[in-house]
Amino acid sequence: MKKFSILLLPIVVVAGFIVISRYQKLLSLPTDEEQVKQPLISTQKSRDKTTRANKPQRIVSLAPNITEILFALGLDKEIVAVSSDSDFPAGATNKKKVGTFWQPNTEAVIASKPDLVITLWFEQQNQVAETLKRLDYPVLTLKIEKIEELLTAIQEIGVATGSSQRAERLAKEISTQLNDLQSKFDSGYKVKVLWVVQPEPLRVAGRNTFVNKLIELAGGENAIGQTIQQYPPISTEELLACGAETIIQTAMGTADTSEQQKAAEKFWSRWKTLPAVVNNRIYVVPPDTVLRLGPRLCQGIKLIANCLHPNENI
Amino acid sequence: MSDILKVENLCFGYTPQSAILKNFNFEIERGSFVCIAGPNGVGKTTLLNLLCGLLSPEEGYIEVDTAPIDSYSVKKLAQKIAVVRQEFVPVFDFTVKETVSMARTPYLGRLGFETKPDINIVKEALQITDTAQFASRTLANLSGGERQRVFIARAFAQDTPILLLDEPTSLLDLKHQVAIYDLLKTAQRQKGKTIVAVTHDINLAAQYCEKVLLLGADRSYRAGSTENVFSTEQIEKTFGVKTFTGRVGREKFFIPLGKFAKDCPQISKNLNSEKQK
Amino acid sequence: MTETLTSKKLAITFFFCLIALVAVMALCAVVGTQKVSLAKAFSGPADTPGKNIDYEILIGVRLPRVILAALVGAALACCGVVLQAVLRNPLADPYILGISSGAGLGAIIAVLSGLTWSFWGGSPIAVFAFIGALITVWLVWCIGYLAGAGKSQVTTLLLAGVVVNAFFAAVIMFLTSIAKSDQVHSTIFWLMGNITEKSQSVLWVSAACIIAGIMTLFTICHRLNVLTFGQDQAKALGVDTAATQITAFALAAFITAIAVSLSGLIGFVGLIVPHAVRLVFGPDHRRLLPVSAMIGGAFLVVADTIARTIVAPAQLPVGVITAIAGGPFFLILLAKYSRKVSWLK
Repeated sequence: MKKFSILLLPIVVVAGFIVISRYQKLLSLPTDEEQVKQPLISTQKSRDKTTRANKPQRIVSLAPNITEILFALGLDKEIVAVSSDSDFPAGATNKKKVGTFWQPNTEAVIASKPDLVITLWFEQQNQVAETLKRLDYPVLTLKIEKIEELLTAIQEIGVATGSSQRAERLAKEISTQLNDLQSKFDSGYKVKVLWVVQPEPLRVAGRNTFVNKLIELAGGENAIGQTIQQYPPISTEELLACGAETIIQTAMGTADTSEQQKAAEKFWSRWKTLPAVVNNRIYVVPPDTVLRLGPRLCQGIKLIANCLHPNENI
Repeated sequence: MSDILKVENLCFGYTPQSAILKNFNFEIERGSFVCIAGPNGVGKTTLLNLLCGLLSPEEGYIEVDTAPIDSYSVKKLAQKIAVVRQEFVPVFDFTVKETVSMARTPYLGRLGFETKPDINIVKEALQITDTAQFASRTLANLSGGERQRVFIARAFAQDTPILLLDEPTSLLDLKHQVAIYDLLKTAQRQKGKTIVAVTHDINLAAQYCEKVLLLGADRSYRAGSTENVFSTEQIEKTFGVKTFTGRVGREKFFIPLGKFAKDCPQISKNLNSEKQK
Repeated sequence: MTETLTSKKLAITFFFCLIALVAVMALCAVVGTQKVSLAKAFSGPADTPGKNIDYEILIGVRLPRVILAALVGAALACCGVVLQAVLRNPLADPYILGISSGAGLGAIIAVLSGLTWSFWGGSPIAVFAFIGALITVWLVWCIGYLAGAGKSQVTTLLLAGVVVNAFFAAVIMFLTSIAKSDQVHSTIFWLMGNITEKSQSVLWVSAACIIAGIMTLFTICHRLNVLTFGQDQAKALGVDTAATQITAFALAAFITAIAVSLSGLIGFVGLIVPHAVRLVFGPDHRRLLPVSAMIGGAFLVVADTIARTIVAPAQLPVGVITAIAGGPFFLILLAKYSRKVSWLK
């Protein structure tokens, strides 16, 4: 028994610390209600009021699509730092860098003295957001995983940066373009598309992905049926049976895509029975407009549409 | 002299079908040097493990120093019985002194730091076994014989009235065999320890031990003084080997006679004369 | 080490190691990608954020990070010491009994369930990883206990750990591929091991748990010494092997689970630090455990500092640095041990 009383020791110590820290209000557990009511911009102090007395003059963006949105809203002078993978527009590359999307550097963010930090809802960024909030920096966290969320996000950024009007216009612009594209390809033949994420081993985008939505908007249909996985590896059998009429592959990196185009055509030429190979409809596209949920979304969709309907002018 | 170890009606088997010991009765007197001998696989090590509490009997009763073995906690039992097995090199390189100091574990306080008396006992054990010169060497840097002495030193440092040994000299050369048995006999004489050694060497057993427990196949056993138990007939019955039993002074010796034993008239004459007795 | 270890000598050694650790922590706190002036930092926090960034960076960002690295390093090193002793295997590391895959599975489940609440400022991933790790260790222990018999229990435990790790890894791979969320990628990244800034409350609670765990492990250290000679020998020397083993496993698993929930899976610390300390201070666990805790903490603090400064403003996962440092060291160890240790022959 004496031995097991030793095991109780850590429990007692932990309990002691909990009691002490509760007493000293070191811990403040947010209740469920508080969590819901909490506006997305939050700091440690301002749980009940939003702090946007002034228009932010020093904005830090931790994701490439957020950077693009900020530039599209004409805020390039207010942006002081961006994540290192923010590569569009050209002005973004000149901004100070504060770490990658996956590992933002908190110190660099603080050193840029921001009055607004915009992050995406990801584990690593949430950590940084928590630290910044504890130091009373205003942080706006957005979840952008679907097209609707993109439009909402643009509006929220507009509100947070005091450029709601421009945001509304931008959102409306994108929304109108989307509708146009959708109605253009709504009726008519849906081209069978195989979206290749990785040629070897062969992995494609399934129907549960965001990319699939883009394909459908561009008047296409995923050659692969419903799969349990988002990015399933498929066998050669499946490949030959799917009857893809167009094959789209995303380029690796931002280097010259013509080399990759030639390599891709060579790679696919072995499956001579695929309609896509027969008609030579193999395309390597740069990823930043199609894989990034940002203001250039419609550009990306048009790019895809051009691949699917090469004879039409879009 | 009371018995320090008593076994009554002991029954044990590793599986329900095979019983290694059945209705086994045996007493060991305080301060005696007993040897347990017998052919391989007959249960010598099993008996030793039962005596030191590592195995539990199915039936029967083991008594250690007039208290049943179940009544002892692991710690208390370690203060009564020390066990020496075949030497080996442990995974981590403890020094000789650290190894021998571990014998004081049953006597240490909560955090396990040795006190002055503990340190002195360890020093003494090292000196008796002539291993003090290796005190700061790791076990891997010793020969087999030296290592075995270290393990015996550890058993001495444990300061127990009973010492159990499982073939302590089977891998050692003649010099070390004799040295170790001398050590054990000295400990018996000077400190009054009770020594129980499992051994294959009946000559050494005859020289050093007063009592012998000879285990045979099929759970048979014979206990008694070495004088009585070790005889040509008994050895042949237990081991299936003919021996020539002789005597030099008061020491008995046994020479095994295999198929290729040299034909020597003296031996065959004595063999015949033994048979006539 | 011919002199017997006394509590006084140990206290002195421990005290010096503690000073070394604090010095390393202080030194690494002033190293970073941004220049920080100490004078400004110590003048206290400003009213509005952004006015005294030296304070914010030093006290708000670097200090919690350095403290966390020390805690995780200490926890992993101590767990390595204990598991190497109980399993009598110099190649044991804290993740050998299924903690790594258990934590990973917990993390993936947290992501798949789409929870967004935070518990004490820690994300659901951390909490689920902690629970997953503990449940897996318990599972491995049960398998080892049921399947192994007496002498071969250690081997059975090791095998059970390997099997469970492999099985859970496969499950994780499967779940990752069917997950509908982009969050999954960040979970993989999280599992790679990162030291990040945590809130004060999280640091306090974790520190309390880890320090309490290490202190309790210290009380069984003299029994661990004996246990390395084998179960039978340990019993003959008066050690209650079952109680010691259960205590050792439970506490080691507990502090490792906390470490993993805070920082993901950081490798090599739990494997290398005990060996390094053993080379210098000898295998006596009463000294090995506390010193390993200090050195493990210092090691991880330095590794993290390198990780966050070497490719600034980006950061490397700290596991990369520990692997680069640990890998060659491990090879040297292997060469050294294969000549002397009986179990390899």
